[in-house]
Amino acid sequence: MNLNLKAVKANTYDAIVVGSGMTGGMAAKELTERGLQVLMVERGKEIKHIEDYDTALKAPWEFEHRAKVPVFSAEELWSNSRFGSLANEETGKFFTNDKDNPFIEKRPFDWIRAYHTGGKSMHWGRQSYRWNKHDFEANAKDGMGVDWPIRYEDLEPWYTHVEKFVGISGQKEGLEVLPDGHFLPAMPMHAPETHFKNAVKQKLGRPVTIGRIANLTQPQPWHLDLGRASCQYRSKCNRGCPYGAYYSSLSGSIPAARKTEKLSMLHDSIVSELIYDEKSQKATGVRVVNQHTLEVTEYFAKIIFLNAGSMNTAALLLNSKSNRFQNGLGNESDQVGRNIMDHHLGVGASAKVEGFKEDYFFGQRPNALYIPRFRNWGKDKQLFLRGYGYQGGASRAGWSRGVGSDGFGASFKEDLTKPGEWTIGFGGFGEVLPNPENRMFLDPVKKDRYGIPMMVFDAAFGENELAMRKDMMNSAAEMLESAGFKNVSGNNRQDTHLGLGIHDMGTARMGRDPKTSVLNKYNQIHDCKNVFVTDGAAMTSSSCVNPSITYMALTARAADFAVKELKKKNL
Amino acid sequence: MNRKDALKNIAMLVGATFSAPTLMAMDRWQSNPSFSANYFILSKEDSEIIAEVSEMIIPETTTAGAKSAGVPAFITMMIQDCYHEPEQTSFKKGVEAIKEANFLKMNQGERTRFLKALEKQTKEDMKAYHVKQTKMGDNEDREQMKNLAVGLPFWRLAKELTLLGYYTSEKGILASFDYVPIPGKFELTKLTPNQKSFAY
Repeated sequence: MNLNLKAVKANTYDAIVVGSGMTGGMAAKELTERGLQVLMVERGKEIKHIEDYDTALKAPWEFEHRAKVPVFSAEELWSNSRFGSLANEETGKFFTNDKDNPFIEKRPFDWIRAYHTGGKSMHWGRQSYRWNKHDFEANAKDGMGVDWPIRYEDLEPWYTHVEKFVGISGQKEGLEVLPDGHFLPAMPMHAPETHFKNAVKQKLGRPVTIGRIANLTQPQPWHLDLGRASCQYRSKCNRGCPYGAYYSSLSGSIPAARKTEKLSMLHDSIVSELIYDEKSQKATGVRVVNQHTLEVTEYFAKIIFLNAGSMNTAALLLNSKSNRFQNGLGNESDQVGRNIMDHHLGVGASAKVEGFKEDYFFGQRPNALYIPRFRNWGKDKQLFLRGYGYQGGASRAGWSRGVGSDGFGASFKEDLTKPGEWTIGFGGFGEVLPNPENRMFLDPVKKDRYGIPMMVFDAAFGENELAMRKDMMNSAAEMLESAGFKNVSGNNRQDTHLGLGIHDMGTARMGRDPKTSVLNKYNQIHDCKNVFVTDGAAMTSSSCVNPSITYMALTARAADFAVKELKKKNL
Repeated sequence: MNRKDALKNIAMLVGATFSAPTLMAMDRWQSNPSFSANYFILSKEDSEIIAEVSEMIIPETTTAGAKSAGVPAFITMMIQDCYHEPEQTSFKKGVEAIKEANFLKMNQGERTRFLKALEKQTKEDMKAYHVKQTKMGDNEDREQMKNLAVGLPFWRLAKELTLLGYYTSEKGILASFDYVPIPGKFELTKLTPNQKSFAY
């Protein structure tokens, strides 16, 4: 190969970060703040903070279809549409056109993608919970999957580090199952929620807390410095927040990285493979395809962080073949692409709340309640392994109650202008066990329009998840009944698949043994130490809490380690 | 609204997500006669029926009614754009049945009785759909119902779209609710007598 040395030099950085989402943003921030010149490579289009949130301040009537999904849009966004109204006129730009970016489902997989600046940090639910000590020991104790190479203590300071930066609103509870973090003031509970919290604590001994959420209730100086302001309680986060009140790569980590003047960004640039050098036994760079021109360019760096999203990160490793790594970079264990986990949801219960007719509220809380795991915890023992948490809360019915109720005409019209009855409901988020048979791989023949092999999904929920779901429905109903609520109705959706939680993870797991895992305890690929994987792919088990804050803590920890190793000339 | 315009609007809303070939593909659907957009065509009388039914649901009182808030055109556009053929068929069937009953010739009292009977029938028909509210995710409720080959009944569609069209229209929101686009705070309060809901 004839290398144009000048071009190599111009395309050379200290670090390359693949992906600009939740963890790519955090990696870029941490690496640039430690003095590295970083190139961030985003496969999708550029979205500019605030100025591209063109729906953010629109009134309801300015949306042609009033946020319903038109049929032709649903066809373009066929996988997104499985979630419901996610990809609509308000929020559609933060989701990916599935028709243009197809994937193959050997078994159904609800893959929701976000190919643009900020990735899924633009539409995340913002719920942010630390893992507990037992989460890191779960695999070792019950023998599922492999043991985590780290423990809670390893991550604890990094949780604090990222929580401060991100800004998490929450209530300290002193619970072992849900460790407290560094919190901004908590949002209040509605009156029926406070009643519920007290009843469940008293009758069932289970704690209920307000959601811990990445919306600024009281911005700190370092938030204000980045131009982030307090939550305005519009609860229209999914359109992009013009106040920067909820955390995303666009409101937080990317501006922070830009401040260092060490960040370069590429958009529309799909990393097709990593370039591996047999002599130095390191990855020397990445090969990038421009999604519009299909032009291929190479970029080089001392270290590479993979933050493309769990499934795309795994696909990238599998597509990076060399003499040394014939089954994909770092895949000697054959674990790359396996052990797909997520959180299973769409199961819970709801009820009617009697009374509280005088209780109302001003503003929209972009948050809900959280009920931490109580199954297989302490003295509780179940036939299924692991556990689940619930999210949900109370709300007062609005005009839409008229759709399913009797009547029409003048008094019906007048009645719907006033708040209706309170209702309350909770939905579970269940832990999914690691299973090597739940996997994605590259199709040996079919390629996408960029010439990159298509991804095939072959994964499904197992017996443990299905058994857990029954209990998730019944326990939700039990708790609502314990608070005296009426018309309690359980629900257990049968039409969900892995992926729908949008917490897909596990495809390049951390572990102690290179024979059974892909990454070591600092998220380095075992046999290619200058490549770090710090997105959801790194997860060895899934816990039941929302994962983003843990991904970010792992990323910050790995970035700190990487820079120290670079300085010691170990990389 | 014109389907072609709708497609372009959507494409603009989702930004560059739609590539040039996709937009061309959309245009191809546009000219494809078998596509449902052309299947759903209403006569002038059909449109009048939709308008009069929506006005019965949300009549003009001291505040605007469905017609003056633009609801009839909204219903037609939504049935065209957001529903599949089963709903388009059941909706049209409903319009036909109303036409046959000479609805437009009825006086106010007769129309009320007719629609009350229709609502009663619809309630029975809806039982087959097992409608249920489901907690979907962090803070999202969603209506689940059984997917039947037969489209949702006319009355359910008409009522849902009338309420959606009216209570999210500019006239409807400003007339019905205390509209606060930027609350700036979240506070627990007590309802005052006859207090309207907030809309955000």
